[in-house]
Amino acid sequence: MNWNRNILKRTVGIIMSCVVCLLITSCQGVHREEEKTSIRIGISLYRGDDTFINNIRSIIEEKAKEYERESGIKVTLDIQEAKGSQNTQNNQVERFISLGCDVLCINPVDRMDTSLIIDKAMTAGVPVVFFNRQPVEEDMNRWDKLYYVGVDAKETAVLQGQMVVDLYRKQPEAVDLNGDGVVSYVMLEGESSHQDSLIRTEWSVQTLKNGSVPIERITGGIANWERSQASALMEQWLSEYPDTIELVISNNDDMALGAIDALERAQKEDVNVIGIDGTTPGLEAIENGKLLGTVSSNKEVYCDAILELAASCALGEELPEEYSLTDNTYFWTPQEILITKIKENP
Amino acid sequence: MIGKSGRVLIVVYIVCLVVLFLMCSTDLIIREPEREIYQIAVIIEDVRSDNYSNFRKGMDQAAAEFNADVQLITLYEKLDAQEQMELINREQQDGADALIVVPVEEEQIAERQMTIPVILLRAGVAEASGAGNVIIDYEKMGERLAREILEEQPVGNPVYVLRDSAVQSDMDRLFLEGVKAAFVEEGGRVQMIMRNEEDRFWMMLEKTGMDESEKVVILAENPEILTEAAGVLAGSEAVSAAVSGLYGRGTTIPILNYLDRGLITGICVTDEFSLGYYSVREAVRALEGAGSVPTVMESHYIKKEDLRNPAYEKMLFPIE
Repeated sequence: MNWNRNILKRTVGIIMSCVVCLLITSCQGVHREEEKTSIRIGISLYRGDDTFINNIRSIIEEKAKEYERESGIKVTLDIQEAKGSQNTQNNQVERFISLGCDVLCINPVDRMDTSLIIDKAMTAGVPVVFFNRQPVEEDMNRWDKLYYVGVDAKETAVLQGQMVVDLYRKQPEAVDLNGDGVVSYVMLEGESSHQDSLIRTEWSVQTLKNGSVPIERITGGIANWERSQASALMEQWLSEYPDTIELVISNNDDMALGAIDALERAQKEDVNVIGIDGTTPGLEAIENGKLLGTVSSNKEVYCDAILELAASCALGEELPEEYSLTDNTYFWTPQEILITKIKENP
Repeated sequence: MIGKSGRVLIVVYIVCLVVLFLMCSTDLIIREPEREIYQIAVIIEDVRSDNYSNFRKGMDQAAAEFNADVQLITLYEKLDAQEQMELINREQQDGADALIVVPVEEEQIAERQMTIPVILLRAGVAEASGAGNVIIDYEKMGERLAREILEEQPVGNPVYVLRDSAVQSDMDRLFLEGVKAAFVEEGGRVQMIMRNEEDRFWMMLEKTGMDESEKVVILAENPEILTEAAGVLAGSEAVSAAVSGLYGRGTTIPILNYLDRGLITGICVTDEFSLGYYSVREAVRALEGAGSVPTVMESHYIKKEDLRNPAYEKMLFPIE
């Protein structure tokens, strides 16, 4: 019996020593972790043909190079397009993690369905910076390494409405084209599942009402952020309500440009069209006097925030002070009104 | 009480469980064949990758098929040969298994002793170098486009070539050589407008009348200039009315949109999806020690009406 007990004691002793050794070596491993000289960022975009997202993509690529040059840390970007499929995006996230990405920047396809992405990232310990399409709060609260970069949709909509209010106060005849005392408008909406679409629609109109602009809604429709869909809708409205539409309020620039395409085809170029995003084609249209105005987020700051957040997560550093996060999670990008000079200074 | 045979059975059962566990969850008994992931770096000659969107799709397709991890790297300065060499060295040191390079200075890369295979995406059919070559004959492409212009446009209309005033890439240079050669052969001539003279050129066109005989033909040296020129035409009816045709090369989305809107008359393109695919395939072949045969890409002339042609549609708007 004694002999057996001795063997048991020795065995337990050996196991305990092994555990202690393992603990010591793993702790040393943490201390010896070398400073990172390169970071790898996996970026998944909800679609590749969205003008605003493409603008953001290009600026992020430029910012990454700037960051690489200034910090000496090699930045590798893996950029993938999810082609509007959440399933594809989930697979891309899996691939990013298996390729050893230090951080993920995700522009979700379905903002209500990000739980799988978060699960995978949490399991792998890879922080996630969401952008442009805001995941629901319950998902964002699941982990302290989840961030969101975007714009305050209500602020965007208020600025969009304000641009018409200001113009109406200065020159009512530039907005109320037929002089009947009422501004008749149509509304082009983005995806119904996108949080910004609903808020932009509601608050742009509310701001017009608050600003005492007499408005009347003729009709509205969902064009899913797309130029071609907006163009088709506008063409239909122009034939259904001839000589009635005075203002087109669009949830983004691409749809505003689609409306302009239809207006040009119908030779109704005096109708005012307003957009949101400040995309490159949108700004060109403002310059040419085709688009009355747009609300533009400061894309430089937007992309800087995405990259700085991603880099600081990857390197385990604090985020630079200039990027203050609401609730330690959300970064809201500043916005401004850009309006055509022809209307502004007639 | 469990008998002796019962104990033996339990032990056998436990041993079986352990063996099954080892078989399913570890490599101890059945060793899964290790699939090596090839690290391939693609270093282009430009600061932006906008002109490489279809190329990227082909590259990603091949990466998934051939088990490769492919990174596309751009330069800080366009056509900076020294920086490209530095990036080649950096990627080699960082453990890339193979490189795909759109060379700024082809000779410089060819002369350098490389420890890993380098696939060159070359702009002309000169002597092959590197571990593999994928070739786009830009000279031939220029010739092809020039002949299409000569066929489509009235004989008397002057042809202006918009070209970069800074350093020319091999692609631009060979493309223009092809254009000039074809015009000379047909007894025509082209006039060069440098980028820094473009504003004056557009102003001159604004004053030009809409008479058919006074109209001009414009040919852009590269996709960037073509996009800018189409943008000018889109923004000014007077300039647009003075131009009887705008031509160039490239397959970016803005170029295809301008072609669809009729602002660009015709473009010469290569199948860039296949180009991306073949380059990664060549790199993997080189890594696996297979022999390499230079792949020469064909060029195609595309007009607005061809955009809906299924064969071209597949090439211009590839789905991964």
